[in-house]
Amino acid sequence: MAAAPEVIIPYHEVRDDLWRPLGPASNRYWIALSIAFAVAAWGILCWGYQIYAGIGVAGIRRPVFWGFYLVNFVFWIGISHAGTLISAILRLTDAGWRKPVTRVAEAITVFALMIGGMFPLIHLGRVWVFYWLIPYPNSRLLWPNFRSPLIWDLTAIVTYLSGSVIYLYLPLIPDLAQLAEETSGWRKRLYSALSLGWTGSDREWHSLEFAMKLMAGLILAVAVSVHTVVAWDFSMSVAPTWHSTIFGPYFVTGAIFSGIAALILVMTVVRRALHLEKYLLSKHFNNLSKLLLLLSVAWLYFTAAENLTIWYGNDPKEMQVFGVRTRGGYAPFFWFMVFCNFVVPFVLLGIRRLRSITTATIASACVLVGMWLERFLIIIPTLATPRLAAAWGHYAPTWVEISITCATFSAMVMMYLIFSKLFPMISIWEFEPHPPEPEEE
Amino acid sequence: MSVYLSGDFASVEPATRAIRDLKSRGYGLGDLVVFSDEPIIFPPGVLRRPSHMSLTAVLGAITMFLLASGFVYFAQHNYPLITGGMPIFSFWASGIISYEFTMFGAIVSTFGCFLWESGLVRKREEAPVPHIQPERIHLRVRCRPEQTDEANHLMLRAGASGVTRL
Amino acid sequence: MDTAKTFHRWGMAIDLDRCTGCQACVVACHAENNLPVSDPQSAAIGRTVHWIRVDRYYEGVFPEIREKHMPVLCQQCDDAPCEPVCPVYATYQNPEGLNVQVYNRCVGTRYCANNCPYQVRFFNFFAPEWPEPLALQLNPDVAIRMGGVMEKCTFCIQRVKRSKNDAKEEGRPLADGEIQPACAQSCPAEAMVFGDLNDPESKVSRLAGSGRSSRLLEELGTKPKVFYLQRGK
Repeated sequence: MAAAPEVIIPYHEVRDDLWRPLGPASNRYWIALSIAFAVAAWGILCWGYQIYAGIGVAGIRRPVFWGFYLVNFVFWIGISHAGTLISAILRLTDAGWRKPVTRVAEAITVFALMIGGMFPLIHLGRVWVFYWLIPYPNSRLLWPNFRSPLIWDLTAIVTYLSGSVIYLYLPLIPDLAQLAEETSGWRKRLYSALSLGWTGSDREWHSLEFAMKLMAGLILAVAVSVHTVVAWDFSMSVAPTWHSTIFGPYFVTGAIFSGIAALILVMTVVRRALHLEKYLLSKHFNNLSKLLLLLSVAWLYFTAAENLTIWYGNDPKEMQVFGVRTRGGYAPFFWFMVFCNFVVPFVLLGIRRLRSITTATIASACVLVGMWLERFLIIIPTLATPRLAAAWGHYAPTWVEISITCATFSAMVMMYLIFSKLFPMISIWEFEPHPPEPEEE
Repeated sequence: MSVYLSGDFASVEPATRAIRDLKSRGYGLGDLVVFSDEPIIFPPGVLRRPSHMSLTAVLGAITMFLLASGFVYFAQHNYPLITGGMPIFSFWASGIISYEFTMFGAIVSTFGCFLWESGLVRKREEAPVPHIQPERIHLRVRCRPEQTDEANHLMLRAGASGVTRL
Repeated sequence: MDTAKTFHRWGMAIDLDRCTGCQACVVACHAENNLPVSDPQSAAIGRTVHWIRVDRYYEGVFPEIREKHMPVLCQQCDDAPCEPVCPVYATYQNPEGLNVQVYNRCVGTRYCANNCPYQVRFFNFFAPEWPEPLALQLNPDVAIRMGGVMEKCTFCIQRVKRSKNDAKEEGRPLADGEIQPACAQSCPAEAMVFGDLNDPESKVSRLAGSGRSSRLLEELGTKPKVFYLQRGK
């Protein structure tokens, strides 16, 4: 794709385009929101049924004590790395093309974290005492066990969620102040309250920019640690093939990989639904596609390194898992995962003539499927093939788990729909429709 | 009894000239505030306001590190239970907790410092704010009534499109 | 000697050369510890609870096939991998070396079960049920677990406590072999021996130190306290 010349869009047109989605909702919007809400509500009902009837209505069993819920947990926490990459890394490297994309990405991060953070609750056997994981003074003088990776999870996710919400909120403040001036009624009250009386003074701008620069670095450090800690849920175990030192970097790379894929997918939908074709350009999809390709190769590298060391090491218990995963019952999933995660992106995005917005979207959807399968293939074959062969088993999900999985995707759509109706998806002040100032060249 | 003037500039260069001229005439940084709808990058030294955000972030991080490590140490010893032969307290085991809380401390102190330094949560002075037009730079000058003409003249000479009294 | 102040270290020796695979230990454990009764659907997907199970290993090539029976129960590891991963301290090592499971603290994350290399931990996916008249034979000394809680072999801690109490009331030390978990008590081949590893004269200590003694998955460093005796290992 040759670089298209920069089209200068007049400022009032930019504002109209970016603020039009905040106007009255169309019928299509209400239908989409209703469907998303219905499926998400069905998921909540399933969860309620599970709490009432017992967690046995899910497909987990001995020895596969962790099933779909943990797969979804790792998957959604992985998706949440979309915002981190775009906002933080590209901000730190001063890549200007990222600007229209940042809020879409940061919103994905916050919602994915909220969804992912639900799964440690959903998979609990006695969820009504979940608060025992939180350190609070009690009459029994008991504290949670800080040596447990699950407590590390809790701490990391809470930190990341607070950081992400702040990071999403900071660049939103100037936009909200502008919106507060232009709207009326409940919207005006909402935006005025949220914009904290922002006036646009240089002191405010300077503080904001400095805070965002600091936050970018901090959020990056936290994000790397969050998915490392989630990976260490498995690494700290003695289960065969789980006790691997590579899991930390492997999972972080996979997370950024699936995050970019989710971002491309969401960008395509947002671009079409909100008519932002003039702002989310081919250039953005091109750059993100190249990043996706790079991460695909990185993912392949880590997967190959992991599997080669297992195969070459030839530890009998680990080879049992390896055999089941690559040659046995789980082999179709494994090779389909490699196809989705590497072959499809490499062909569709590596061949320059094939790279387009459509193919990027297809590749991203495949990558999301592939990455979900990767989480599945890390968790279930190992648990199904423990060291003592007498305890081997299988796993099959039930309708409860499948419903809740679908409901999470639906919940993401629903939250995104609501977000896009309340807040502009591209921040006006960061977006430069006019020529850049001479100093920045 | 102060007078507030607002000069309207099209770009950074005339605004910079105006600020430099006003500063050389004795106006302090407290009298000069620039309003815009996007961050304006001035040449270094023109409008530099002191900021303690880095220091605050580091202090917040260190504080939370000490608090978190101390709390974990206390909690594990308060009701010591042996698990898996591990020591009751070890930085190997609780290092992650300390790290996350350190980051949390840095994040919260950065955000808090932003809210404070930007003036968003402080009691506001009742100074009038010019209506911000898109892609324009507004320079609000606080001066004594007898300096009004001088400030007016300086801004127009620097290249302001217009000066209004707020 | 004040038995209350002397710390014991409970261990077990299982003689695989004596074990016939009759599974009387399994049945006795069910009866003693109020284990839930499974149903065909649960059994089909592997949710049956057997705190002690008898694994069968076939060794050799036809026609010289030998069948080895190995009762596997909670090994009460000294460096148990299941303990540090529980976020709420529902499992920890008590001063007598037992890996205790605290039913009313368990939140049901099931991390411990994933981490046990012997797969001796069992989860109550539903509230346990006993079809009539089995509910009438529940042991009042043992707690009934609720749904969502992890359970496993406790070395019949209720019997350990009762014997210790009896000995303390009678003002005498515990005799070797006085405490018998249900499995050891019911074994017709007397293949299972339970006792105090801290007492060098006890039968279990002497068996554990014998040349036939080894431990399961010893290379993992879990330091289990169940010793398997077999010739030619």
